[in-house]
Amino acid sequence: MRSREIPKGLRDLLPDEAKNRRNIENKAAQLFHSFGYDEVVTPTFEFMDVIEKGGSTLRDKLFLFMDREGGILSLRPEMTVSIARLAATHLQDEPMPQRLFYSANVFRHVQPQMAQYREFWQLGIEMLGASGAWADAEVISLAVMTLKELGLEHFKVSLNQVGIFNSLLAESSTNPNEREQIRNLVERKDLVELSRLLERLPIHDDLKETIARLPVLHGDMEVLNQIPYVENNRAASQAVEELIKVYEALQIYGVSDHVVIDMGVLRGLDYYTGVVFEGYSPELGYGLLGGGRYDNLLSQFGYDCPATGFAIGMDRLALVLGQQEQEQRYLLGGKNLEKMVREASKLRDKGIIVEIDIEGNSQEVLEQKIKEKTGYSLLYLGNE
Amino acid sequence: MMSQEYLTIALSKGTLLTPTLELLTQAGLPVEGIHKDSRSMIFSFPGEPAIKYIICRPTDVPAYVEHGAADLGFVGKDVIAEQGRDVFEMVDLGYGGCHFAVAVPKEQENLTLKELNYRRVATKFPVVAERFFREKGLQVEIITLHGNIELAPLMGLADMIVDIVSSGRTLRENNMVELVHIMESTTRLICNRVSYRTKHEQIQPLIEKIQALVKGGEKNAN
Repeated sequence: MRSREIPKGLRDLLPDEAKNRRNIENKAAQLFHSFGYDEVVTPTFEFMDVIEKGGSTLRDKLFLFMDREGGILSLRPEMTVSIARLAATHLQDEPMPQRLFYSANVFRHVQPQMAQYREFWQLGIEMLGASGAWADAEVISLAVMTLKELGLEHFKVSLNQVGIFNSLLAESSTNPNEREQIRNLVERKDLVELSRLLERLPIHDDLKETIARLPVLHGDMEVLNQIPYVENNRAASQAVEELIKVYEALQIYGVSDHVVIDMGVLRGLDYYTGVVFEGYSPELGYGLLGGGRYDNLLSQFGYDCPATGFAIGMDRLALVLGQQEQEQRYLLGGKNLEKMVREASKLRDKGIIVEIDIEGNSQEVLEQKIKEKTGYSLLYLGNE
Repeated sequence: MMSQEYLTIALSKGTLLTPTLELLTQAGLPVEGIHKDSRSMIFSFPGEPAIKYIICRPTDVPAYVEHGAADLGFVGKDVIAEQGRDVFEMVDLGYGGCHFAVAVPKEQENLTLKELNYRRVATKFPVVAERFFREKGLQVEIITLHGNIELAPLMGLADMIVDIVSSGRTLRENNMVELVHIMESTTRLICNRVSYRTKHEQIQPLIEKIQALVKGGEKNAN
């Protein structure tokens, strides 16, 4: 009998935790809305064929099941692919750019641990139909503003352009398998294995040195001067220029204090094509948010359209933010229900939280009760 | 939760501790009072830079670093390979060398790899063992033990073992021979994913200093 258990990696949110999440959601939604982003909702599960358009990174983490017609379904492991599908099927004729946001639970079959659950909540935006540095800068600065708005102070957003790495790698005479290995090692910052692998591969020495340096290049725009080899590669230098433009725009938005260039950020998901970024707080050993440009994903659904966006992990954010302060509440007691209802409704109109004592207790009993609860004041309507 | 001002470093107690402390001393970090017989598990050095060490079992170092309870850690590749933790592997420190090997009782020393298919293997490293055999296209039954692996073939619990070998003495004493060399292991400097970014100004210079020391050491040895 498992009548009192829940499946591994899932959890209940008790009132305080649910309130925290609601607070995060509300503040973020308000901010997104003020920038013109509108909310969309997609189904909790999709055909696996849809989810797979996002690449193979998450394939072994999908929760799969079948419908009665034999179709294979997957709980959504993230939202970007679903929104790309939604846009390609419903928004093709709408004027661009489209600004969308979501707040949704997503599902991954991961090993559960602190800050890693099998069902978790993501909050994010997608900007569709806009390429160029200004679009990237708006999305990234919104990510920074969201964390600030929620009261986070010491956080960093690491910025990169995957085109730099991908173009350099494409130039090397390596096979796709080797490129995947290099990519993997750079992303994991396994510098030991990376230098060993590079030693074995027939790559030009200067290029080799540049690839080996990328994972540790970290800082302000200055670091871009530390990869002189990039000038020999047209696509890579274009990517560098794009990164500079985005960084300059972020300075104008006034958020660059929180932004660092980090050439080791490649993001795990397969669909990213341009500027990518990840957010971290020193209070938590795991990433808080991630996003970037994915110009080829919508064309997987038959709609060629550039796009960029990000998602914040709400569960992790809640861990960093901690508890909200308890608001003041009133317990309203009395013997005359009519009077009580009238009084309660007057107070509620003023924005005060009022609970009616539905047990009809005496004033003495209620005074005792109040002592056991925190944040409550008693209001007792007598017989006058 | 990580402390903001201290750089926290997890050290493996046991044989790795002495060479690690030597390296830290060369890198100019304070290590006074830490030695392999000390009972304390935490050592704090306020000052510039402010450093805190935690001394723990080698197998626990990756967990401290992955979850951010420590920013950096010194631990053997054997432990990292087995646990597959999500940490950055920054420097190969070169010391504490050993390797993973498949070993069999001496009378079986002419076995080929193929003949190991569907056999039983006893090991403290089920992940490394499983991965090795799978990559060779072989299927084996893995029996996880916690120590004295050499006992398993003697008692008929397993046909072979996967273990770390440094001098080879333990194998010889138990009348076993190494059949396949799986992979090398040395001590590594590992780093938490987030610390690397949020404490970059403290961590990167330290990593570079250690890298330089390791390279210099190699030259001296040659």
